[in-house]
Amino acid sequence: MWRKSKPYLLLLPAAATIILLFFGGIFDGLLKSFGYFPAIGETELNLAAYDRLLHSASFWESMELTLRVAALSSLLSAVIGALIAVALFFLNESTKTTSPKAWHRLFQLPLTIPHLVAGYIVVLLFTQSGFVSRILAAFGWIDGITDFPVLVNDPFGWGIVLTYAWKEAPFVALMLYPVLSRIHGSWREVSRVFGAGDWQFIREIVVPAIMPAWAIATFIVFVFTFSAFEVPYLLGVTYPSVLPVYSYQLYTSGTLSDRPEALAVNMILAAITILLGLVAYYFSKRWNVLKGWG
Amino acid sequence: MSDLRIIDIEKRYQAVQPKNDASFMLRPVRLSIREGEFFSLLGPSGCGKTTLLKLVAGLLKADGGEIWVGDKNLTNVPPESRQFAMVFQQSLLFPHKTIEDNVAFGLKMQKVGKKQRLKAAHDMLEHVGLNEFGSRFPDELSGGQQQRVALARALVANPRVLLMDEPFSALDPGLREEMRELLSRIQKDFRVTVLFVTHDRDEAFALSDRIAVMSEGQLRQVGSARELYERPETTAVASFLGLRNILSGALKNGRFVSSDGMIEADVAKQLADGDYFMVIRPEAIKAAEDDQLGHVPVKGIVEEMKYGRGMYSLKVNTGNQLLECVVTTPQAEETAVGEPISLLVDMQKVWFLKE
Amino acid sequence: MKKHPQLLSLFAFIALIIFVVVPFVPLILSSVSFSWRWPDVLPESWSFRAWEYVLNDGRTWQAVGISLWIALIVTAVNILLALPAANALVRYSVRGRWLFEAIIFAPIIIPPFISVMGIHLTFLRLGLTETVLGVVLAHIAPTLPYMFRAVMISYQTLSADWEDQARMLGARALPRFFHVVLPHLLPGILAGASLSVLISLSQYLITFIIGAGQVVTLPILLFPFVSGGDPGIASAYSLLYAAIAIAALVGMDAALKRYYQLNKAPQDSGKGVKP
Repeated sequence: MWRKSKPYLLLLPAAATIILLFFGGIFDGLLKSFGYFPAIGETELNLAAYDRLLHSASFWESMELTLRVAALSSLLSAVIGALIAVALFFLNESTKTTSPKAWHRLFQLPLTIPHLVAGYIVVLLFTQSGFVSRILAAFGWIDGITDFPVLVNDPFGWGIVLTYAWKEAPFVALMLYPVLSRIHGSWREVSRVFGAGDWQFIREIVVPAIMPAWAIATFIVFVFTFSAFEVPYLLGVTYPSVLPVYSYQLYTSGTLSDRPEALAVNMILAAITILLGLVAYYFSKRWNVLKGWG
Repeated sequence: MSDLRIIDIEKRYQAVQPKNDASFMLRPVRLSIREGEFFSLLGPSGCGKTTLLKLVAGLLKADGGEIWVGDKNLTNVPPESRQFAMVFQQSLLFPHKTIEDNVAFGLKMQKVGKKQRLKAAHDMLEHVGLNEFGSRFPDELSGGQQQRVALARALVANPRVLLMDEPFSALDPGLREEMRELLSRIQKDFRVTVLFVTHDRDEAFALSDRIAVMSEGQLRQVGSARELYERPETTAVASFLGLRNILSGALKNGRFVSSDGMIEADVAKQLADGDYFMVIRPEAIKAAEDDQLGHVPVKGIVEEMKYGRGMYSLKVNTGNQLLECVVTTPQAEETAVGEPISLLVDMQKVWFLKE
Repeated sequence: MKKHPQLLSLFAFIALIIFVVVPFVPLILSSVSFSWRWPDVLPESWSFRAWEYVLNDGRTWQAVGISLWIALIVTAVNILLALPAANALVRYSVRGRWLFEAIIFAPIIIPPFISVMGIHLTFLRLGLTETVLGVVLAHIAPTLPYMFRAVMISYQTLSADWEDQARMLGARALPRFFHVVLPHLLPGILAGASLSVLISLSQYLITFIIGAGQVVTLPILLFPFVSGGDPGIASAYSLLYAAIAIAALVGMDAALKRYYQLNKAPQDSGKGVKP
């Protein structure tokens, strides 16, 4: 008996911790989104918060903004990430003697920088009086501060997109690089034997091979930026705000009746991320992302 | 006397199945191994020999049966406390410890003092010829050297039984022979009981006092190398030991007639009438023209000639059967592939069995 | 492609440099500027006043200390939770292993702040808000999955034969763990620890919700400055913050290298490092 239950006992601490702290919190939030506040005597469950939420224009504008920002962030970081991976690839090719490790460490720098710092970097770079604006002025391409577009704390969300593009591109590159380095070498020779030129090689072999990893990486960035708080809080505007910020604004608004609404936003957010997570899992299994090329 | 007694040890597959034949990973095994004996478990992959070894070690839990050493019942004793030692195919030397720390590890677990155990380790390393390597690390040694250290590590704590799971399979042939000699010498010096698993017939023959031939999760026959080779109990055992000349036939009134009609001769032994298989060892066949008493002439065409060490082994096609025999080099020079050849089978040296 | 490898590599190198390094330029310049008005590309006057402010303020070092301390405790707890769990999944056949994996990896999919906002009032009632303990508890969920994954991957490369060999040499469970398992898992544990520390250091929202402004970690201290305060000070704090994060990672990396080097040293120095 002892032997049979040993593995479950070993799993217990970790599982219990997550269940209590994490799922407990989600469940707690769920109850509160139904208006369950025993501390102040509210013990009836109702869908009032959800009702208010789904009928509020600001919620849908938040949703739209969040989707837009997440989509742009993931696409931009996907493109830049691919370019970085290719750039690293070429660097590795030509500098076989010097350690490739230096480049690898360097391009991972954005990954280790905390989000708020990355956000502030974008502030310093892209505000109308920012660094990029000054460089453009030095070249004579713009005349005054207001000639530079509003990219930070803008209602469209460009500041957020730029920050995530910078910060997450290395992540995409990190997922792509191993695939790229495995493709080259013997596979290139094999395709040469079959008469494939450079471009054909890229089109027929390279692109399909990195597609799954690329898609997954992009998707992960999408899910992450969809539900992130720090950067949009710093670089967004008060209205409209992305969903996590919207939820926070409601939670800290001071009006008690806003609390269940805030938590309802959270629940909807959780549901969306779970759904997206399942989709990612399904596709990663189907495409056998990590197998085959090793 | 601390004999190792394996009493009806068995192991089934994990899934709960009705108790039928198919559910056994290892059928009940009963063996008694004398103290200081070198005992081999010989068989093809998947025959259950490693399973049996691990059951004896305690690394696998048996579904039935007992293990005794001397008067101690070790069946429910965990492997750490059985005082056995084991050497695997890979040396499994702990990479972050020096050679002498590796060798001394077993003693450390027995709470032996540092000075004492390092001295014991050093002495053992000398026995295996590696006393210079004490302060090196495993990755600095070759495969053969590592395996010698593994052997030293196993022996230093004076184990009751030394278990070995195909320890030389990963080594080059030349090295393998060296290691066999080392093992043999050490085993006799220390009088350690060894339970040795291998699929290599020659290895088992060279090292063992007794051998157990296994196949398909079952013990087939136990005996010394010579007993097994000269008197196999089943055709399965015979063919595993490399005896390919097996003829089916019937014995009547002291006369054996093979089914294909190739051999018809009087049989020296007293055997009841019935169907039998006749096993002819290659050494029992001579290349000769003249008839001899007690020998049966067989004619065939030479199909294959392979050079061994100082002799030739031939495969001769007799029409229905491919006979393997051994001839001297001068005899081989008188014939060639495709040539007819006359052979004589010594009826004193053939063996009959039923299955 | 093959024709101009040198040119392309140079181009790639420059592009990479621009992408990674250039963004730090305004940050560094701003932190050492006295006044930096548009459209100057370089500050008109330099000064270390921002750094003096940041480095001399007691609150700075308090925040650094608390941030690292929290990260350390969270990581230690993660190791204690992840090791047995990884052992269970790798060495035993567990029914419902998919369920466990779904549970433990959930915080990677579902943003942790959702759970923290939900549990906030409960923490309040339990007296966990405004305490370091509360913040530590809140940091565990976002970091544990990464530690678990790193340890699990490392564990899978340790075949059972090693532990079997140790057992046959007489090693019981605990000595086996220290002599065989742990040394093998160390790189994996360190990889997990790096992620754990990094993620803990970069938490803002959940630290703020639970800490309620009383537990002041670096990001909490930093935020007012970056959201419209003195740019010089904000830059200095940002650089300090980034430096701490990088230092923590480099530190752990170096510790691992040193561990391996120490173990290769001759063993007659008595103590040595106990693997």
